[in-house]
Amino acid sequence: MALPLPPGLTPAEVGFLCEMELVTVIPRQRLEGLELLGGPTQPMIPPFATPLPLWLALLLKKQRRANISPPGWLNVEALTHILDFETDERTADVFSPSPRLPQPTSTAPLEEDPYLAHDALELSPPFLKDAATAQAQDDALPYHWLELSHLLLTHAADDFDDPDAVHRLLRDLREVRMSKLRKGFRVLDAGAGVKMNGMGGMEVAEVRGFVGGVVDGLRINRSREEARKEEEAEQRENGLGSSNYRDDEDDDML
Amino acid sequence: MAYYNPESILTDAQKAPCTFELAVPGLAPLNNGSAIEHGTKLDLPLWMAEMLAVSKPAGPSSTSLVSLDMPPALGPRVLNALSADPKSVELRAQAQWFYGLGERMLDLFEEEKTVELLIDTFKQRALEIADKSQNTRSTQQGGDSGDFMGGLDEMERQLFRAAHDGSNAVKKWFESSSRS
Repeated sequence: MALPLPPGLTPAEVGFLCEMELVTVIPRQRLEGLELLGGPTQPMIPPFATPLPLWLALLLKKQRRANISPPGWLNVEALTHILDFETDERTADVFSPSPRLPQPTSTAPLEEDPYLAHDALELSPPFLKDAATAQAQDDALPYHWLELSHLLLTHAADDFDDPDAVHRLLRDLREVRMSKLRKGFRVLDAGAGVKMNGMGGMEVAEVRGFVGGVVDGLRINRSREEARKEEEAEQRENGLGSSNYRDDEDDDML
Repeated sequence: MAYYNPESILTDAQKAPCTFELAVPGLAPLNNGSAIEHGTKLDLPLWMAEMLAVSKPAGPSSTSLVSLDMPPALGPRVLNALSADPKSVELRAQAQWFYGLGERMLDLFEEEKTVELLIDTFKQRALEIADKSQNTRSTQQGGDSGDFMGGLDEMERQLFRAAHDGSNAVKKWFESSSRS
């Protein structure tokens, strides 16, 4: 109650975290590797592409010391493809999927606790590598797609082939996905959920307050709901029992 | 209910009509000093009404001190209007904490139908709130949706604010990040 911030990340915080994403930079000047809190950066030697954190890349871009090469999904062709998926009738009720997960690293040394071993950590959407570099998968929107594309388009528009078309496509995508989310509000319930697979961080941060409020508000008479759920569970158990019985019968007949 | 939560305190301070079943001389201050007889009707705050309705005095009679009635905000007129069209009812005019009142009263009364109706009302109105919160200009500068905020109960107002704050914060981040 005393905490002035709402639970979860605010949009500003999500935007800040987005600047940690690595992007591919094509340097124009030499720069030795920097020792940063997030780890050392690679030295920049023109004209070889180097991965750098987005904030540093934007800074160098502003000083005209580097160009940013946009990730694979951020061009007209890939975005058109994703937009087609979003507007297709057959996939009207799902968001376009997030990038593929990397292969699970199951060859962890088992001497220590395998869950704590560094190379055994399984990565999932917010922490996927290469989501914004030039090696990024080109048919899926990564977690920070909205923030990243906005930052790149406003500060490095001249590195795009056709920034206006990309901008238009992104706006369409955002609206399509927002209206899908809105449709999802209709099925909100005290126990139900909206399937949000493939949603970006900014989109989640935008609707978190509302969705949380609705679900909290729907807990009118929570004890009664629970009682009813128990009843239902009991009925289900009974139903299960009878079907088992029927299976037995079948077995007998065979 | 959280102890230091002013909202739940205010919810509990809403009044419900009570009928006294016994003469209670000690509670005369509640009735502006005049004596409380059998059959006296008073509007008491929820927290007190609940205590009096649940507690049973020692003695031969088995009735409780007061019998509790549904407040007019949850009366048949309002409920019928809600089942006809949830969006047209001004909940705030019925009770400032309408859903809170409903929750407290339905803890005491077993009325499955009313619970369902309230939940359904909340869902439908929440959708309306989500839509209206996207263009606040029309809700704040009058027109017929100027009454929209006036018709929301306090919980719905918080929902409206949450929805509005969310999209506003995104807009703000977009603007601030394009400047620097």
